[in-house]
Amino acid sequence: MLKGVSLIYLQGIEMKSIKRIAILASLFLLFISVGTLSGQEIAIKAGTILPINDAPIENGTILIKDGKIAALGQNIAVDSDIRVIDANGKFVMPGMIDVQSRLFVIDSELNESRTIAPELSILDGLDPYIEESPEVAAQGVTAIYITPGSRSLIGGSGAVLKLNGSKDVGEMLLKDNIAVKAAIGVSANNESSSLGRLGDYSSIREALLETKIYMHNKEKYEREVAKYDKKMAEYEKKKETKPAEKIDKPKRPARFRLDPTHEVLAKVLSKEIPLQIEAHRVTDILNALRLADEFDFKLILDKCTEGYMIAEEIARSKAPVILGPVSTSFNDMPRLEYRNHDVRNAAILSEKGVKLALGVSGKDGASSKFVALAAAIAVGNGMDKGMALRAVTLTPAEILGVADRIGSLQVGKDADVVILSGHPLDTLSRIEMVLIEGKTVFERKDQQ
Amino acid sequence: MIKKRFLSFLIVLSISLCLTSFGNEPQVIAIRAGKIWTVTDGVITDGIIIVDNGKIRAVGQEVDVPEGVNILDMSDKNIIPGIIDGHCHIGLSLDIFSEMDETVAAIAADMLILDAFNPHSKDVKKALSSGVTTVMLAPGYRNPVGGQPAVVKLDTSKANDWVLKRSAGVEFSLMNQALMFDREPTSRAGLIELVKEQLNEAKVYQEGFNPRLEVLNRVVDANLPAYIWAHTVDEIASAMAIIDQYNLNAVLVAAGQGDEIADMIAKRDLPVIYPPLLLSSKDKDLKRVGKMAGSGVKLAFASLAPRTDLNDLRTSAILAVKYGLDKEAALKGLTINAAEILGVADRLGSISEGKDADLVILNGDPLQPASSIEMVIINGNIVYQRLEE
Repeated sequence: MLKGVSLIYLQGIEMKSIKRIAILASLFLLFISVGTLSGQEIAIKAGTILPINDAPIENGTILIKDGKIAALGQNIAVDSDIRVIDANGKFVMPGMIDVQSRLFVIDSELNESRTIAPELSILDGLDPYIEESPEVAAQGVTAIYITPGSRSLIGGSGAVLKLNGSKDVGEMLLKDNIAVKAAIGVSANNESSSLGRLGDYSSIREALLETKIYMHNKEKYEREVAKYDKKMAEYEKKKETKPAEKIDKPKRPARFRLDPTHEVLAKVLSKEIPLQIEAHRVTDILNALRLADEFDFKLILDKCTEGYMIAEEIARSKAPVILGPVSTSFNDMPRLEYRNHDVRNAAILSEKGVKLALGVSGKDGASSKFVALAAAIAVGNGMDKGMALRAVTLTPAEILGVADRIGSLQVGKDADVVILSGHPLDTLSRIEMVLIEGKTVFERKDQQ
Repeated sequence: MIKKRFLSFLIVLSISLCLTSFGNEPQVIAIRAGKIWTVTDGVITDGIIIVDNGKIRAVGQEVDVPEGVNILDMSDKNIIPGIIDGHCHIGLSLDIFSEMDETVAAIAADMLILDAFNPHSKDVKKALSSGVTTVMLAPGYRNPVGGQPAVVKLDTSKANDWVLKRSAGVEFSLMNQALMFDREPTSRAGLIELVKEQLNEAKVYQEGFNPRLEVLNRVVDANLPAYIWAHTVDEIASAMAIIDQYNLNAVLVAAGQGDEIADMIAKRDLPVIYPPLLLSSKDKDLKRVGKMAGSGVKLAFASLAPRTDLNDLRTSAILAVKYGLDKEAALKGLTINAAEILGVADRLGSISEGKDADLVILNGDPLQPASSIEMVIINGNIVYQRLEE
């Protein structure tokens, strides 16, 4: 298009200056193309690449094109005219994910006062102007998963956002309707008395049973409508071909009332969306597993504080766990559910083969910047290093169904890349640069 | 994996056998370590610690190991002195929602916090597993004059002298949390007045049968420390005014905003017991501790457990380093500074000759959360081992 513009421009110029202008114009075009190219293509020359899905690559290069990873490996040809980020001697890893974030939410907006409200979306209660967001991105956390809180039994659906610095929720959104959030036996709604716990379980079960009936009625209605449509067609045909004959007009089935609550839960029961159940104590975790058995939905266990006590049962259920907080210090005050909190929880569950993502589960949004610290604490308490790193990158992406876009450094995935001065589990490593879809969202200023 | 586990179990078993096989006879053990962080005398690589009857007899690279003494091989490990928690509330209640304060009376100077301590609480085991060997048990911050803290070692299973200080001082609180709507004081001015009234009364107290005035009298005489909770700049300023007026031997507790008047704190040589660095803090607040120490204030860390996880006393120090505190100062804040502030530095806080053999053995740098605590020793006895269940 630019070329076209310059040609039109040239038409009105005298011949003798054409030559000069042509040179200028071609120089200009060259400048433009180089400019746009360098915006699209970036090469990161790294010391150590931690792709997460694969073994570390020493002295590797990552090629980024149009915000995606175009190539990575040791012998990647880099054109001389593209932007090169020198990360020699540094570590490069995919952006981390806080799977239990509270960024952008004000506490009161986490839950509706109704206890069963699966049709709500956390996206409607976000404040993208929260000031802590850049601090979180500056620690290498490029995506967060936020859900409604635990005050409602079924509180609505969660979403994955990218911390790309936008103030527009739509621009940050990677995927919504990730899972429907439920909570059993959380003190915020019922003081964790055993009576409340029974009530929680049965209320959720009741809602799922009602959904089954709802689905059954809806199917029945749809069959009746189909039948009616067929009869109606016959009726119209007969009326046309034999107008003299008197035929009864088929009766339309009574209207079926669509209900948003059950529509969403129907998606859970048809395995379109997982049900994410926050459960802390053994009883509650077992109840969650029991519900998943009874209703055959995709279960994500959330928090799972006492999971280590029944690690084998959880492993057998194959339900993935988003575990947190690793340390109760991430919350300012101890909660009743943390009575048997154990820092070794992550290590024990992961050793038993549970698919496990580590969340920060902090009191405030700012806590999300401590994802790497949470992983390091888990390692200090027995978790395998590789598993811990995976638990803040690829595993959460897999559990949340966004692994096609984020979670590892693989060709075709988003170029959400973190460059660190040392290993990510070394707490004193500094974050040098953070890229989201190839765009720099953080760069350390005091380069030494 | 299992084989490796079993092997390490065997190693630990043999280590524990060699440590405990001495029975009641005078015990001499030599520990060979990859890195010994003495705290007061630098880091010794490939050194040896000789433990004799619960005390450190010698430490260094060139140390003669007496004949017939078993050598504990920790040559790939790091050893630091037992960590000291400057202020915590563990073992004081049946539940995590512990009541650390008197809520009806404002003045509780004669209350001994040790009387409420359960030495068999599971918190004690948890503290040991996080490398904490000594703690100051303290009341909370809701009483303007709030009882006497204690300093205890956490080898409480033995019927020996685990109580280092039954009464380590008197706690005061000038924090807004000391105000209550249903008892005096209800205002900040009233709070300061009430504290001064108590000190005035104690000053003129001669003798009699008043345990409250007796202990406060020792505080105004500056021979018993005053531990003063003050968090914000104005609270710290009030504390310093009282300290100046009554010439108290004082320690500031909390002082979260102390960096803003760090010079004034440093000028008075007021040590600070710093609260845990909360993992919900903004960067600006996480940088405060480094700034304060940079101005020359002596700092010790506190977990205030169960407010935060005991495991995170070390995390606090690590975070402080991440946000600007000098690494050496951070390690001192967990050990020797705390020992000096609590008045137990003659026995604790560093790996030096003559001090108690309270040692923490880690598989890596002590200021990395990914380093695991493998073994904890108090008075030469193993009190925690990582693989024990």
